[in-house]
Amino acid sequence: MQKAEASRKIEARKRGNRPGFWFFRTSVRLFGLRGTYGFLYIVCLYYALCDRSAISAALSYVDRRFPGSGFLRRRLDVYRLFVSQGKQLIDRYAAISALAIFDIRIKGYEQFMALVQDSRQGLILLTAHVGNWQIAMTTLKDIGKTVYLLMRPEDNPAVQDSLHISREQVHIKIISPEQHLGGVVEIMNVLREGHVVSIMGDRSYGFNAIEVSFLGEKAWFPHSAFSIAAAAGCPVVVLLSVKVSAHRYVVDVSNVLYPRYEGRRDKREQLQQWVQKFVAMLERYINQYPYQCFLFHNVWREESKSATG
Amino acid sequence: MEDQKEKRLADIREKLKGLLVENLSLEDVTPDEIKDDEILFGDGLGLDSLDAVEIVVLLQRNFGLEVKDMEKGREIFYSIDTLARYVYENTKNKS
Repeated sequence: MQKAEASRKIEARKRGNRPGFWFFRTSVRLFGLRGTYGFLYIVCLYYALCDRSAISAALSYVDRRFPGSGFLRRRLDVYRLFVSQGKQLIDRYAAISALAIFDIRIKGYEQFMALVQDSRQGLILLTAHVGNWQIAMTTLKDIGKTVYLLMRPEDNPAVQDSLHISREQVHIKIISPEQHLGGVVEIMNVLREGHVVSIMGDRSYGFNAIEVSFLGEKAWFPHSAFSIAAAAGCPVVVLLSVKVSAHRYVVDVSNVLYPRYEGRRDKREQLQQWVQKFVAMLERYINQYPYQCFLFHNVWREESKSATG
Repeated sequence: MEDQKEKRLADIREKLKGLLVENLSLEDVTPDEIKDDEILFGDGLGLDSLDAVEIVVLLQRNFGLEVKDMEKGREIFYSIDTLARYVYENTKNKS
């Protein structure tokens, strides 16, 4: 476990490190968004050819999304994924630093705002490593509630620096899943105060996962968002964002689930149904936007049942 | 006075054990089988963080209590006995 943890931290340092961010930051200032995308094609070529761990992480998804592909096609798909992710990272930085303006349309905004304002129990925002969930978060700064991100603050300090996410920031705060009991006491408290808690629905972060069907195979996804929502009596709003053109994003928050345990039926069975609904939404998204799925974590591996990250 | 406190604590412990068995996914465990000092999470009773969610709600619904202090959470959620003492200390003026 400690070895895996150390390895995860080393990998996080290797990719998306501070010099890398500095390079792209400077490039955006000097050459603009499209000019910086140009560098990206070269940098991603290196990763797609030489970074074994990154390739292996991406292939677990590529092989399920594009089954039966040959060696070259698989590598090309990995490359396209890396370029797509790189563009979205650059967009994120450019948006937050006001170096570029993006048209971000929110699908289901009115319903979402009604839930935020009506909900006395707060709500859970369930998202995944698809599209640009962080850019979507920037649109939530004016909702009048604090958004708490359940994430490891130590995961990648450079990414956080670039996003200007800090514990002190007023509208977006972090709850660490590494604190006692995975931070659930804090989560329940902020939900009770009517705030929003954002949870990645495709990463366990130490919480238990449940078996579902994903891209035609058995996979394990965490049920924490639904267990917490069922206990707290709050809704789960699914947030999926997609880059539809160079300067345009669509953030979809129109799918809302209301998990409530029915009678004495097996809770695990009920949780499984809710997680499967979420996974089905992800599948529809992935079928439409295959190169905006950055699920570089093997959710099909049985060890993901109790994955740490 | 001390007897009354011990009796009240025993009642709370019994109630908590019943609630845990009823609401958590404890398979084939009866309230009597849970020891007062048994560690609730990890080794011991084997509860996980999501069971903690249920306990937070149980405390709120059944005793009107909210665990605000995250630092204290670790000692409060340690065993049935520590939970019972927390409930006792925070409800003794209400009853």
